[in-house]
Amino acid sequence: MISVHNLKKEFGKNKVLKGIDFELEEGERVVILGPSGSGKSTFLRCINRMEEPTSGKISFNGTEITDKNIGKMRQEIGMVFQHFNLINNLTVMENLILAPVILKIMDQPAAEKRARELLKHIDLSNKENAYPASLSGGQKQRVAIIRAMMLSPKILLFDEPTSALDPESIGDVLSLIRELANNGMTIMIVTHEMNFAKEIATRIVFIDQGKIIEEGKPSEFFAHPKTPRVKEFLDKVL
Amino acid sequence: MNDFFQKLGELFTTPAYVESLWHGFLLTMQISFFAIIIGLIIGTIVALIDTAKPNKWLIVPKFISRVYTTVIRGTPMALQLFIMFFAIFAIRGFPQIITAILAFGLNSGAYTAEVIRSGIQSVDKGQTEAGLALGLSQYTIFKRIVAPQAIKNIIPALGNEIITVIKETAIVSMVGMYDLNQAAKDIGSGQNMSSYLVPMFVAALFYLAVVYFITFIIKRIEKGLRKSDLRS
Repeated sequence: MISVHNLKKEFGKNKVLKGIDFELEEGERVVILGPSGSGKSTFLRCINRMEEPTSGKISFNGTEITDKNIGKMRQEIGMVFQHFNLINNLTVMENLILAPVILKIMDQPAAEKRARELLKHIDLSNKENAYPASLSGGQKQRVAIIRAMMLSPKILLFDEPTSALDPESIGDVLSLIRELANNGMTIMIVTHEMNFAKEIATRIVFIDQGKIIEEGKPSEFFAHPKTPRVKEFLDKVL
Repeated sequence: MNDFFQKLGELFTTPAYVESLWHGFLLTMQISFFAIIIGLIIGTIVALIDTAKPNKWLIVPKFISRVYTTVIRGTPMALQLFIMFFAIFAIRGFPQIITAILAFGLNSGAYTAEVIRSGIQSVDKGQTEAGLALGLSQYTIFKRIVAPQAIKNIIPALGNEIITVIKETAIVSMVGMYDLNQAAKDIGSGQNMSSYLVPMFVAALFYLAVVYFITFIIKRIEKGLRKSDLRS
């Protein structure tokens, strides 16, 4: 589905990604691990062009993602952010229906109906007309996830979705992601939740200093890391 | 003290004085109103140019807007007024009020631009990213997400700028225009009341009343815009 070829990203002189090659198949759940500053978030953000790649090629279902088609591509590739990024001046309902209505994917009544179903599913029906400022972190993130789902994307990118949450909310958000995974959603996720990574991933990708240095099935990755760098990392975090 | 109230009575019972004050007040209001409108228009355009993503078409406009704000903010308003009156519009018969409106409008534009620019830039980048990630266009993101949030940041500072313009117009008396400030000075002069305190006190009350009214309006608008911040 996603094919990344020799992706490089530099911020001025700072080389953050130094040539990433990567393939993502439908139904995969890839967890990206790595130390902070390794470039894992940047890698994720290059895929839907939140960051403009310095060089390299990223394709979605065989079509190269460019500035021209990025709008359409982003409807297929949803994203969930660390800081939720609910739109502050819009209510929960308005957050949910904004994109599908403006992009004419659904008319307003249909979008509202779908939004209500999803809100009911995450037990936040009573927050329909609330503004984001009145929600807790966990509630915000769950709304952000269903907001991404409103466009029925083919892939969901999660950029450290639980890093800004208190321990109690983390569980709620992770179970929602788990549920999406069980329904066959194709997922890429950057996270520091090792247990969740182990449980949910079909593949682990380990990035260090802007390069993928190891990848594999979680069972092998965690039990028998091949490189000393990954061994060292796992010793510290597990 | 008795003298003060006596003079106050004299001022308000002499039709010529009342008329002078009223005319002065109207001129002050006219200059302020149109200058603020011009300032808003220029300020919005300059702020949009300043905050737009750089591209080759914007190199010259960005440069001009930077020079404009730097020069206006770096020189005294009184000097700008003199330049407009005695150099640029030193044309016999050219309406003074237009020259004054342009001078204050150009001045206010630079400050308004800064107010709007910082209001736009203070909107969290994550808000724009959320819009982008949902496939929305830059235009839609600005209209539906950034601008409404920026306005909330802009309104209070804009209120300050409006008040500043109204008070600053008092310097048109330096180029011989008959505004509220000049009216007070005229009424207090030797051939009229021969006392400056009372007319200037009254002029001060006029300014205060207007500023108070504007502050009140701005507060009301702010309150209306804050509804999304409430944790209900």
